[in-house]
Amino acid sequence: MKIPRLTTLASLAVLVVLALFPVIGIPLSWLNYLFTFFICLALANMWNLLAGYTGLICLCPHAFVGLAGYTLAIGSWVGVPFQAGLIAGAAVAALFALLISFPVFRMRGIYFAIGTLILPEALKAWFNYWRPVGNVYQGMGAGYSVTGVEGVTLGDTFWLGLAIAAASIFLVHIILRARLGLGLTAIRDNENTAASAGVNVFRLKLYSFLIAAFIMGIAGAAYYIYSPRINPVGGFNISWLLLPLMATVIGGEGLEEGPIIGAAIVTFLRFLLADYGAWSLFIQGIILLVVVVVMPQGIAGLLRQVGAYRFPLRLFQAVEGRIHENVK
Amino acid sequence: MSETAVLSIDRLNKHFGGIVAVKDLSFEVQAGEILGLMGPNGAGKTTLLNMIAGTYSPSSGRVNFCGRDITGLPAHKLCHLGIARTYQIPQPFTSLSARQNILVATKYGGKKAAGMEHDKIFDLVNLSEQKDMLARDLATVSLKRLELARALASNPTLLLLDEVAAGSTDAELPRILGIIEEIRKMGKTVVLVEHVMKVMVEAVDRIIVIDKGEKIAEGTPGEVMKDEKVIAAYFG
Ligand SMILES: Nc1ncnc2c1ncn2[C@@H]1O[C@H](COP(=O)(O)OP(=O)(O)O)[C@@H](O)[C@H]1O
Ligand SMILES: [Mg+2]
Repeated sequence: MKIPRLTTLASLAVLVVLALFPVIGIPLSWLNYLFTFFICLALANMWNLLAGYTGLICLCPHAFVGLAGYTLAIGSWVGVPFQAGLIAGAAVAALFALLISFPVFRMRGIYFAIGTLILPEALKAWFNYWRPVGNVYQGMGAGYSVTGVEGVTLGDTFWLGLAIAAASIFLVHIILRARLGLGLTAIRDNENTAASAGVNVFRLKLYSFLIAAFIMGIAGAAYYIYSPRINPVGGFNISWLLLPLMATVIGGEGLEEGPIIGAAIVTFLRFLLADYGAWSLFIQGIILLVVVVVMPQGIAGLLRQVGAYRFPLRLFQAVEGRIHENVK
Repeated sequence: MSETAVLSIDRLNKHFGGIVAVKDLSFEVQAGEILGLMGPNGAGKTTLLNMIAGTYSPSSGRVNFCGRDITGLPAHKLCHLGIARTYQIPQPFTSLSARQNILVATKYGGKKAAGMEHDKIFDLVNLSEQKDMLARDLATVSLKRLELARALASNPTLLLLDEVAAGSTDAELPRILGIIEEIRKMGKTVVLVEHVMKVMVEAVDRIIVIDKGEKIAEGTPGEVMKDEKVIAAYFG
């Protein structure tokens, strides 16, 4: 079915309404949860770009997040404003991706996954003793606070998160409809055939990896503007991997709307299970397991299967038809 | 090496651990020629194509393409230079439609690929009815044709066809022979690996027979079929 233009309009309307939230007196706790949703969404979108569209099971988002957070924090101690630190953090994450691409792309499938999983651990160890500038905060390991963000309000970080999440959706949308998207899908389906058909497999994987590292980095840095303290255990925490992984798999891997649905669910679960500490992760794990078994294509896959999008799309089409008639 | 050779193989070897899959193989293919490659199962035919197309790099020896040493170049570069291949066991992009499958070759096959018209290719391989189906929903016979379509879509100079007729019924053979004839008319050079004798006898200019990685006979289809070594390799 042709996607009616109203769908774009509706998405924009949602974006505008969300952007108004900080100024119309929405409870602060909502803004907080929505901010974590935005960060989770950006990470999940990029994880989906890698796992769902390029066939790269990348288990090192926490390397990108931690590096970007540390770049922001250390930068803030030598006078780099946080806006520049945000971009610098993303750039460092992408640079790291570039450096590791040569060794890790030699590995395929599960070996690639394991290879990437080791990296954040190494970084964690490194940042435990490497302390180029500033003071230890609260005596915890090699922790840093981010300075110069005192004037940043919750509304500001909310908008920043919203912008990053929206950009990540838009970016994937564009990539999938471009030549790059076709090449990535080809690689995911069959690397050998892709190469035989002229696809430079290494280069395309690298593009995808760099884009993902950059956006994951910017999302991570945004989080550390919002919560301006970082230490190796937090910055390189595996939950930065589990969050987008669960969101993507629950929502629907390799489907554009999958991470959006998944990120909403994962964030909502976090809200529901906030008081249960360690049990929270356990329950989320169970849910993940159930989804994988019952809905191999995630919730989005199930929605597509039962034709759940048909009604809203028809509605939009009907409305659009009316508008056209009235214009005539 | 003669000047018109599109492909020239010089003492090519390939080992897998202790197995010698291709041994000291040398031959040439002239521009516009259709060369048949025969040999019992496990003779090393697919391995040879894999080395020419860049999927494997040879253990030793040289591969020349249009006068240029291409030994060990990666597959995508060879595609850009003008070599396309089909896989014996179809290797489609399963989640893409047939049309998108060949679109990959058009978009990534380099400048020369731009001129190929999809509808003509689909017509040629008799896949027009199924071009909007997902590759994972296609039957094996259709997937074999899709292999051919994808290989043609990058508009190659040299086409490597690995058992495109295998699994076809006798009724389908004329169609396949027709396709090969069309490919010949396009002026393409072809290396055709095939077991189906009818295709060999009717479509190719010259045959090379390999057994256990070594060349055991070479000549016109008529000559080769009478060769004692060939008869021994197949029936002995
Ligand atoms: N990737 C591989 N690893 C190990 N052995 C291989 C590989 N590919 C082919 N071989 C071996 O090389 C030999 C030739 O195989 P192949 O080229 O597929 O033969 P053909 O296509 O003539 O039937 C066989 O003994 C096969 O087992
Ligand atoms: Mg074979």
